[in-house]
Amino acid sequence: MLNIVITNLWRRPARTVFTAAGIAVGVAMVVALLAFTRGLQKTAAGFVHLGGSGLGVFQANVSEPTTSLLPASLVGRLQKLPLLTRATPLLLVVEAIKAEPAAIVFGAEPSGFFTKSLVMVEGAQAPGGARAALVGDRLAAQLHLRAGGLVTIKGRSYPIAGIYHSGIYFEDAGAVLPLSVAQQLTGHPGEETDVVVDLAAGVRASSAGTAIERAVPGTRVITDPEQALRVGANATLISQAILVIVVIALIVGGLSVANTMAMSVMERRSELGLLSTVGWSPARIAVLIFGEGVGVSMVGAAGGLLLGVVGGRLLVGALGVSAYVSPAITAWGLGRGLLIGVAIGMLGGIYPAWRVTRMTPLRALAGT
Amino acid sequence: MSPAAGPEVVLEGVGKRFGTITALRDVSLRAAPGEAVAVTGRSGSGKSTLLALIGGLDQPDAGRILIDGRAVWTERHDARTRRELVGFVFQRHLLLETLSARANVEVPLIGAGMNHRARRRRALELLADVGLAERAEHVPAALSGGERQRVAVARALANEPRLLLADEPTGALDTATSETVLDLIFQLRDQRGMTLVIVSYDEAVSVRADRTISLLDGALATAPA
Ligand SMILES: Nc1ncnc2c1ncn2[C@@H]1O[C@H](COP(=O)(O)OP(=O)(O)O)[C@@H](O)[C@H]1O
Ligand SMILES: [Mg+2]
Repeated sequence: MLNIVITNLWRRPARTVFTAAGIAVGVAMVVALLAFTRGLQKTAAGFVHLGGSGLGVFQANVSEPTTSLLPASLVGRLQKLPLLTRATPLLLVVEAIKAEPAAIVFGAEPSGFFTKSLVMVEGAQAPGGARAALVGDRLAAQLHLRAGGLVTIKGRSYPIAGIYHSGIYFEDAGAVLPLSVAQQLTGHPGEETDVVVDLAAGVRASSAGTAIERAVPGTRVITDPEQALRVGANATLISQAILVIVVIALIVGGLSVANTMAMSVMERRSELGLLSTVGWSPARIAVLIFGEGVGVSMVGAAGGLLLGVVGGRLLVGALGVSAYVSPAITAWGLGRGLLIGVAIGMLGGIYPAWRVTRMTPLRALAGT
Repeated sequence: MSPAAGPEVVLEGVGKRFGTITALRDVSLRAAPGEAVAVTGRSGSGKSTLLALIGGLDQPDAGRILIDGRAVWTERHDARTRRELVGFVFQRHLLLETLSARANVEVPLIGAGMNHRARRRRALELLADVGLAERAEHVPAALSGGERQRVAVARALANEPRLLLADEPTGALDTATSETVLDLIFQLRDQRGMTLVIVSYDEAVSVRADRTISLLDGALATAPA
C-alpha cells in the first residue's frame, strides 16, 4: 500500500510537484507569519520590561503605548503602593533622530533605576544636571557615534557622555536624555509617557497590575507582551491581518489540493475501478487516495517550512520593520506549519476520496 | 477436475438499463460448478454488462444473480465477493503502469490484507505459473502485449478465485499470442476447477468451452441448456 502511494507520487513527478508547491506556499505563509508575530511579541516584551522592570504603567485608552502621557505626580502615588519597590518615570520620544527614525529616545531620571541599570561600554554617565545624552551601542554602531561626540535629537545637538548596553533591544537601538531635558524638548514639562515599576518579591505582575489600575484610575498596566500588542491599535491591526492571511492561505491551499487531487482521481478512474474490481474495499481505496494526499502534503510542508523561514525575513524586510522585529522561528511555529500542511492535504483528499467510493466499479472502469 | 470445484452461477430474469438503453433484458441461465461457458454476440449486445453483473461490478435493475446460492450485490459494490470468489480478466490489461509485474499481481493480495512477505512469494509463484518468472520486476511498458495479458491473468488468480470472468481477454492480441493466452486460461481453469465465463468472438473459445450462449440486443439468443 505504502509502496503504491510512493510509486504513484514518484512516477508522476509533475503532478506531485505541482500539488506540493500549492501546499508549500500555504505552509510557508503560516510559518513566516507565525515567526513574524512571535518576533513582534518579543519586541513588545522588550517594551514592557524597559530598564529590566516588572511592568509598565501607561495612560489608558491610547492608540499606541508611545502616545501615552501621564502627570509627574503619578510616580509619588505609585511609590506609596506596598506592592512596589521602585518606580521611575520615562518619556518616550519617537522619530527624534533623523538618521534613524526607528530609534526611540528615552527621557529618564538620571538617578532613577532605568538609567542606573545601563551598563556603560564607553565613557561614563554624566553628573547630575548635565545636558548630556547616552547612546545605545546598536545605535552608536549604526550612526558611528562615540563618547565625546555629538548626537542630533529633534534638530538639537547634545554631547554624548557615554555608550551603553542594556540587552533590551529598544534601549540599545535608542538613546537616553535626562527627563527634564526631554520634557523641554518635546514641550511636555512635568509629563511622562509611562512609569516603569519593580515589584516587591513574591508579587505577581498580573495581580499588581490590577491593583495599580484600581488605585490610580485612568492608567493601563502592561505586564506581558501580548497585552502590549493589544494596547497598540496598529499592532492589533497587524495581528488581525495576519489571522486573515492565514485563513486565506488555508482555504486557497485546501482548494488547490482538493482540485488537483480530484483531477488526479478523475484521470485515474479506471485504475481505481480496477482496485475495486480485484476486491479492494471502498475504505481501502479511500485510504490510498488519502495517503497520496498526505504524502504530497508532507513534501509540500517540508518545502513550505524552508520557504517560510526565508519568507519570514523577507516579510520583515518588505514591511520595513526590521529595526523593531526580528522574525523568531520556534519549534512550535514550525510544528504548526507542518500540521497545517498535512491538514490541507487531508481536507483536499476527502472530497475526491468520497467521490471515488461512490462510483460503481463498472463506471469507474469504463472511465466515464 | 480439482476437488476445489467452482461455484454454481444462476441468473434469474436479470435486466439492466443505462438510461434509455436496455443493455440486458430478462436473462436467465445457469452455469454448473466448474463449467466453462462461452458468451458470444455482436458488439453492444450486452456481453460485458452480463459479466460485470455476475462479478458484482454493478447492480442489476431486475432479477437476481446467485453464486452458490448467495445473492451478489448484497452490500455496496460487493467488494468482498469479488475478493473471495471472483477473478476478472478484461480486454484491456488494466495493469498499474507505475508498478512492476510482481507488484501488480500483489495488488489484490493487498486488498485481502495479506502480509508483505507472503504476498511477494505468492505473486512470484503466480508469475511462474503464467510463464513470466523472468519478467517479475519489469513495469508493464517493458512487456509485450501478450506478456501484459498474462500478468493480468496472474493477477486475476491471486486471491484463488473459484469463478473466473474473462471479457474478450484476447481481443487486443494477435492470433498467435491469443492462442497462448487462451491455452493458459483454459489450462489454469482445468487445474483449479474454476467455473469460467468467457466472452469471445473467437471460434477457438467456443470449441474449448463446455457450452456457448449467444446474446442478441441484451437477450439470450439460444435457450439455456
Ligand atoms: N456505463 C454505461 N453507460 C451507458 N451505456 C452503457 C454502459 N455500459 C454499456 N452500455 C450500453 O449497453 C449496451 C451493452 O453494452 P456492453 O455490455 O458493453 O456490450 P458488449 O460487451 O456486448 O459489446 C450497449 O448499447 C452499450 O452502449
Ligand atoms: Mg464488451
